[in-house]
Amino acid sequence: MNSTPQNHCEQPKLDRRALLIGSGVAVTGLAGAAWISNAWQPRAKVFVARHQHYDGRLADTIRDGLLATGIEPNVFRGRRVVLKPNMVEPSRKISHMTTHPAVVVAAVEVFKNWGAAVSVGEAPGHVRDTEMALVESGVADAVKDARTQFADLNYEPVVWRPNRGGRSNLDGFWFPRSIAEADFVVSMPKLKTHHWMGLTATMKNLYGVLPGLVYGWPKNVLHHAGIPQTVYDINASLPQLIGIVDGIDCMEGDGPILGSRKAMGLIIVGTNLPAIDATVARIIGLAPQRVPYLALADGQLGPINDSRIEQMGERWRDVVSPFKILDQPHLKRMRSEESGALVT
Amino acid sequence: MTVNLTLDLIDRLEEDVPGGYSRGGEPTTEPTALAGLALAAHGRIECARLAATWLANQQADDGSIGISPSRPTPCWPTGLAILLWRSIQSVTGSDAYGDSIDPAVRWALAQRGRTQKRGPYSDHDTTLVGWSWAANTHSWVEPSAMFVLALKAAGQGEHPRTREAVRLISDRLLPAGGCNYGNTIVLGQALLPHVQPTGLAMMALADEKYHVPQVELSLNFLQRELCEDTTTSSLCYGLLGLAAHDRMAAERFEWLQRACIRSISEGVGCYKLALLALAAAEKYPFSNDRLAVLAG
Repeated sequence: MNSTPQNHCEQPKLDRRALLIGSGVAVTGLAGAAWISNAWQPRAKVFVARHQHYDGRLADTIRDGLLATGIEPNVFRGRRVVLKPNMVEPSRKISHMTTHPAVVVAAVEVFKNWGAAVSVGEAPGHVRDTEMALVESGVADAVKDARTQFADLNYEPVVWRPNRGGRSNLDGFWFPRSIAEADFVVSMPKLKTHHWMGLTATMKNLYGVLPGLVYGWPKNVLHHAGIPQTVYDINASLPQLIGIVDGIDCMEGDGPILGSRKAMGLIIVGTNLPAIDATVARIIGLAPQRVPYLALADGQLGPINDSRIEQMGERWRDVVSPFKILDQPHLKRMRSEESGALVT
Repeated sequence: MTVNLTLDLIDRLEEDVPGGYSRGGEPTTEPTALAGLALAAHGRIECARLAATWLANQQADDGSIGISPSRPTPCWPTGLAILLWRSIQSVTGSDAYGDSIDPAVRWALAQRGRTQKRGPYSDHDTTLVGWSWAANTHSWVEPSAMFVLALKAAGQGEHPRTREAVRLISDRLLPAGGCNYGNTIVLGQALLPHVQPTGLAMMALADEKYHVPQVELSLNFLQRELCEDTTTSSLCYGLLGLAAHDRMAAERFEWLQRACIRSISEGVGCYKLALLALAAAEKYPFSNDRLAVLAG
């Protein structure tokens, strides 16, 4: 089954067995109905690689991961790809806060080799000085090393796009031109805990494509419209999405800014962002269905149910290592059954 | 490559008005207002007038000015336009742009950042009213500081809204000094300060009779953080924040020269050129003595 980004939620065909079982719904009642409903849920593949290092062969890992999740390289030829790292509030004293430049360079190499026109774009959410964010995160050097362009999404001219998600009361979004005109947007978060949302991964990272010039620093328009709802709506309204998670040196505890370093050595890749985020939630010890934005996305933008996610590369169960979270009720509610330490 | 700050930079800036955030980009309100302020500070009044008139032409009937001609909202740069118009009045001794200033001030005073009940999660006083980036959202440090500067320049320094915003900015300073976009302590943890918002906050809090201890700590933070590698807009706002309190870094021109060379070689737009020119001005360009002299 083709799972290129054009078809990033795989819809299973009902085979004869399914139809036979389905025909028994009237007899078997709700349990059967639930099975049918589940059978129609989308499926997705997520690739997990471990033992990764920033000085390793990350481009090979990313390429292999994307191929494993069904990407067809020829779809990128001549297409515009924007890589969106996480540079929310960079500080070189807290390098585990932002996407490592080596991962950005590796991703540029992969998509360039597949014939794409690649740029790196970000609208840092907490700082107006984008140059500072670039320098502090190391992404300035990465962009130079990779001989690509950087798009300052905070200050670009904007283009209106309707809200295709409909979960918040926003009619649409002002996207920077680089994003509105992109064929693919690649969300490249650092794997971190988030003291409001539980975790920040590929879906929440896309807050960072919206321009501060319109939405403010912080992007308070979105907060007032509901964080889970606007995460959903932004993801639903963007061009085709791909996710590459920097899970090598991660952040636990008081993320997304002030948490502690946690070495995981992971790269996680896929073409369905809810499935990626559900997988990384499981890895860090959160229950995806209890993470509000993932609960909203479930079955709509992609699957979060483990049975609907085909794990490529490493199995997530083999790399689970619960992250510390703050001792706050709203976060503790997101914990999966495998308990982890709290930061108090 | 050597750059004479007071000649090459200003000449380049003159060519770029009205200008944008990137070279050759769409002219936008904030860069054009800052460019006008810088040109006025360096005595290039005719070109400053070009910027001021361009802004006046963008003004909506309600007095506001959007972020660009193609985006009439949000209107947070309106305060910067007031500052430029007042600056030209002060330099020329005329009442030019009075018809633009009055409605802009009325509009500014009618805008209120959204408040909320104080909760257990954030330390700052969420009931104080300042200015927000976008309508119907919370008040934050930078837009509040811009409007405080503008209203002081327009002779509204004692207006209750200005006073409350001064309290708000003071409240958002971190316990150890400096500030960020406007959060202080969240879930028990003090957040990180940044140079650019701290510089702007210090500009807004200059000339205040009452200073919280964090002002001194914030000035110390700026003095500690600024260096030859500080990126352009942070460097400029940091230096302006210090200058507002009569503190000048000895290495100021050396740092600005370096930032100027870097910026010009990168082909930056009007926005950064304007900030460099403002930070390089001989006299602090936002002094209330200078701007409020004609305010009624």
